[in-house]
Amino acid sequence: MTDLVILDNEAIQALASPSHSKHRHALAYVQVIASRKQRAIDIQTVVPTTVRVEAGWDRASRAGAFLNRLRITDSPLDPAAANTAAAIRIRSGVSVADAHIGAVIGSAQAARITVVTSDPADMRRIAGDKSVTIAAI
Amino acid sequence: MRLPAALREAAALAVAELGVAPSATALTAAALRAMLEAIVLQAALNQHYQDYPRARPDLGDLVIAAAQLDGHPFATQPERLRRAAAEITASHPAATPDEVLLWAEARAMPAA
Repeated sequence: MTDLVILDNEAIQALASPSHSKHRHALAYVQVIASRKQRAIDIQTVVPTTVRVEAGWDRASRAGAFLNRLRITDSPLDPAAANTAAAIRIRSGVSVADAHIGAVIGSAQAARITVVTSDPADMRRIAGDKSVTIAAI
Repeated sequence: MRLPAALREAAALAVAELGVAPSATALTAAALRAMLEAIVLQAALNQHYQDYPRARPDLGDLVIAAAQLDGHPFATQPERLRRAAAEITASHPAATPDEVLLWAEARAMPAA
């Protein structure tokens, strides 16, 4: 079964810019994931598409070229995810992007779910009763 | 694509007995896809490290990241992990983050 790693806005911003103070820290996560993939461990990295919007990551732009090479899959805000995210936003008052992260957590079938985030408290709130590992960037 | 007979038979057995994939072809394709993905990802990182040498995480950074991703109890003790990384690197320069974590756990066990 897959391990799922979900990236939040700051994780994406830190990865995107070599001048970001947490760039090396964010790259360490990706390097660990890359090493595990090489050992045939089933691990996937995803970004909810609203997080991508918030972080300003346009896959069609030159600025997004490095991020595009990191095998980070889009998790789209489809109608079902939008319903779940809306409920989370009403219940928790979090941002649209964080509510979308909550929807991704809620629908994930992964053996382990890890969220790389600068806001562990919000992530614990949106995860509900789902078991989630928080990696604080 | 030609596969060694023993490997092909092992794949067929894994599909038939363990249900790991719909077919041996699907299993082979999935394994190949995963390995290519890993190679491409590492190549992207290596190119980035070449362009930005200071961005390359050291073993201490990697063991902290691994501990955080796994929710390891030592994830909240980065100094302990950096110390363990420094200790193990002295004798095992090619140590992996998982080996450092094991070393940190061993160091934390009370002496018998």
